[in-house]
Amino acid sequence: MVRSPNDYRTDVWVDWCPGCGNFGILAALYKAFAELQLDPTNTVIVSGIGCSGKTPHFVKVNGVHTLHGRAIAFATGIKIANPNLTVIVHGGDGDLMGIGLGHFIALGRKNVDIKVMLHDNRVYGLTKGQASPTLSKGLKTKSLPQANIVNSLNPIALALISGYTFVARGYSMLSEHLKNLIVSAVKHKGSAFIDILQPCITYNNIHTPEYYRKRVYMLEEEGWDPNVREGEAQKTLMNAIQKSLEPDERIPIGIFYRNPYNQTLEEAYGQRTPSYSKTLLPWQKISKEDGSPILDENHFQKLFQEYIVNVKKS
Amino acid sequence: MGGPQGSGLESTAQILSKAFAYLGYGLISDREYFSNIKGRHSYTHIRISSKNLPTSLTYPVQVVCAMDAETIFTHFQDLEERGSIVYDISALQTKYTAIPSIEPRLRERLRLTFSELGLDGTISSLTRYLKAVKKVRLIGLDYQNIISEVSKKFEILPSQATRYISSIPVGSIVGLTGIGSDAIKYSLESRFPGNQTLIEHNNYIIEQVSKTVREDYGTLYELSRSSIGLEKVLVASGNDIIAMAKIVGGLRFQSYYPITPAADESFTLEKYERLEVEGESLGSLIVTQTEDEIAAIASAIGASLSGVRSSTSTSGPGFSLMVEALGYAGQVEAPVVITYYQRGAPSTGQPTRGAQADLLFTLYASHGEFPRIVLSSGDHLEAFYDTILALNLAEKYQVPVIHLLDKFLANCIATSPLPDLSKVKIERGKLVFEKPDYKRFDLSRPISLRAFLGSNTIQWVAGDEHDEFGHIDEDPVNRKEMYEKRMKKLEIMDSEIPIDYRASYYGPEDAKLLMIGWGFTKGAALEAIEKMKDNVSCAYLHLKMFSPFPTEHVKGLLEKFDPKNIVAVEQNYLAQASKIITQHTGVKVEKAILKYTGRPIYVNELTKALEKVLGGERRVVLEYGA
Repeated sequence: MVRSPNDYRTDVWVDWCPGCGNFGILAALYKAFAELQLDPTNTVIVSGIGCSGKTPHFVKVNGVHTLHGRAIAFATGIKIANPNLTVIVHGGDGDLMGIGLGHFIALGRKNVDIKVMLHDNRVYGLTKGQASPTLSKGLKTKSLPQANIVNSLNPIALALISGYTFVARGYSMLSEHLKNLIVSAVKHKGSAFIDILQPCITYNNIHTPEYYRKRVYMLEEEGWDPNVREGEAQKTLMNAIQKSLEPDERIPIGIFYRNPYNQTLEEAYGQRTPSYSKTLLPWQKISKEDGSPILDENHFQKLFQEYIVNVKKS
Repeated sequence: MGGPQGSGLESTAQILSKAFAYLGYGLISDREYFSNIKGRHSYTHIRISSKNLPTSLTYPVQVVCAMDAETIFTHFQDLEERGSIVYDISALQTKYTAIPSIEPRLRERLRLTFSELGLDGTISSLTRYLKAVKKVRLIGLDYQNIISEVSKKFEILPSQATRYISSIPVGSIVGLTGIGSDAIKYSLESRFPGNQTLIEHNNYIIEQVSKTVREDYGTLYELSRSSIGLEKVLVASGNDIIAMAKIVGGLRFQSYYPITPAADESFTLEKYERLEVEGESLGSLIVTQTEDEIAAIASAIGASLSGVRSSTSTSGPGFSLMVEALGYAGQVEAPVVITYYQRGAPSTGQPTRGAQADLLFTLYASHGEFPRIVLSSGDHLEAFYDTILALNLAEKYQVPVIHLLDKFLANCIATSPLPDLSKVKIERGKLVFEKPDYKRFDLSRPISLRAFLGSNTIQWVAGDEHDEFGHIDEDPVNRKEMYEKRMKKLEIMDSEIPIDYRASYYGPEDAKLLMIGWGFTKGAALEAIEKMKDNVSCAYLHLKMFSPFPTEHVKGLLEKFDPKNIVAVEQNYLAQASKIITQHTGVKVEKAILKYTGRPIYVNELTKALEKVLGGERRVVLEYGA
């Protein structure tokens, strides 16, 4: 059976604000899943808290809606326990760049094959428009009582130095382009990150579609090559970091960096423990027919012999 | 046996433990240490028995083996009259004031004691006093000389030979107890498998020292033959035996963030990740060190959703971080086991010392209401079976299980019989692998069919209140039904989990005095029953499961006793278990024996305290131990 984008829709009413940038992300997601023909039973969307956190309920694949900031940590357990699953994290800028920042960095270090989509609208939506970690200093979006007093962070640069092996930026209003990024991210082997610029029409009156229309340009149209050639990761990474530091006047979208050569954590575990790659953990037998443990008396004495003392016969 | 942290005492304890176990003796060895890598005073408190496998500790000791002067200053009062001190004669002129690692309060206590006794504060004056007044045998050895001899004999650098210094106390114990060289050889070979050099060098010191001690002082503590009669015995710390149990219990995923006294368990698990026995693969175990404890529990829950048995191990500060996710597991009905080793708290507290002050915390942690299991264990073997029980109950009832242990058990090395695996069963609860329109939270029964992510199903899981499919739903009727579905599990668990798993009664039916306790207190309480029996008949109610609490059973037992003869024995200030008893049964436990110094309850102080309780005291606070 061939699945169309519509086949990935659930019956749940999408309760984002009319005109929300999230609709563009969701549309791109359905299209990407259809293009990839993802098996819904083997695909998991993991989310945190906030408007982005609701994403799994709108997609007919497995959905795990977790705690604020912790989606990556849950996703890591899901993926390591069953590397056959396609695992995609959706989180907001408060979720992934604020409260959950430690997990975001850790995922880069581990290079687990998880795809992270950052819904980046620079404000906290569900709590009525506070400044998020991606809002620049000095800006006063409409519900802030005072202008933002702290500096923003740069998600692309952060992902690059954290060790993500696929780093991209998309824009929710350019749905086809974003779809292609998602497809590439899912096809990539390793931790992948897409910073998705997204207007919040209710609370962010600065970063509007108009704002982005004037600034966004596509990396690939300016001849940018994100791909690491074997042995040249360092050079490509340096270039990508430099590119990520360009001021907000012109905003590049597209793939910044792609390195297919790094070992994933799952591969590393598999190398150390061959049976991990041979039989997926959930399907490994832990008991016999009668319910007794697969590890019997005899195994116990052999496996744990360093703790067992054979008492001297008198 | 005491010495500076990092001088090899842990190894000493392991070598002696296995040597005595080899000869059929029972043994328990408690390790007390500072939060420090090198230099601060640490000691191992060992008890050996020819009659049983001890599970409790007591004072005074018969021998103090001192690697340094600080050990003598810290422990001379722990020694029985006519006991023995093994010490380094080069330390004789050392004054307690010259030892920077002695803490100010001990220094002050020593100053007062020495000024009362008219001593000048040197080891020399203290040992002379102990010999004259306490009839203590002074076994002075020249440690440096022993080391230089080894250095010469094996042509190794003195700095290298110094690394063997912890074999001196081993040798002196071997000499004093008269155990044979075969036991030591067995033990060394098991400690340093295949490393002939280490075995030979250590063995040489042990033989030389034991010979000197035997020749000069005699076999002062010759052991009677063991009457225990086990052919095989397990010699392991609490951390290690729990790791073994998790492997037997089918654990496939363990996440952790390093914390004392839990981390050793994860290290042991990682050693066995391949689960290979003579080339046969029994599966594989993933042990993953996470960026923090929040990620530890979150990834364990994630792995559980994928369908593997998962757990995380931690202590108080780590559990504090896990609390939000604990509630998530409750809300999404995800099985997960948290192995919780209590240490001195609050905050950083006493990171390397023990306590039982987190019972109320584990029972009530996280916002809102959800069913959970809180299970505690009293000794090594009990902890083994309980670990597997925890894994079973988590999956059977789809709830988080907190296995509540303490530092005492974690770090004590003890002899146990080999667990009887024929008693062990794996129960995974109700599973489904294929179902169209699968409802993860099917309301037709409290415990729904559980599918793994990656089964032939699609499911949603949300910390928000959800409908049967797992989608967010705030409807009041749905809310009420889902709430009740979850909470109903408390009743089901209460009615299904056998009482034997939840509380045990020890002692005569018609005992006069009832002690109530939990965790590591069990060992001391059971021995106190024996010690007190000629004086007064005592019993011990060992509480194991605090949620769901075995209300009727406990109430029935308490009603048999005169309320003034019921005493809680706990390692906290509030007598926390007694509060839980009152909450569930309405019976007020009016008396308590409590300890919160970070050191375990010793039998000698417990029996004294029980006498005070019988004499009418309501609250006795214990403080024995260095």
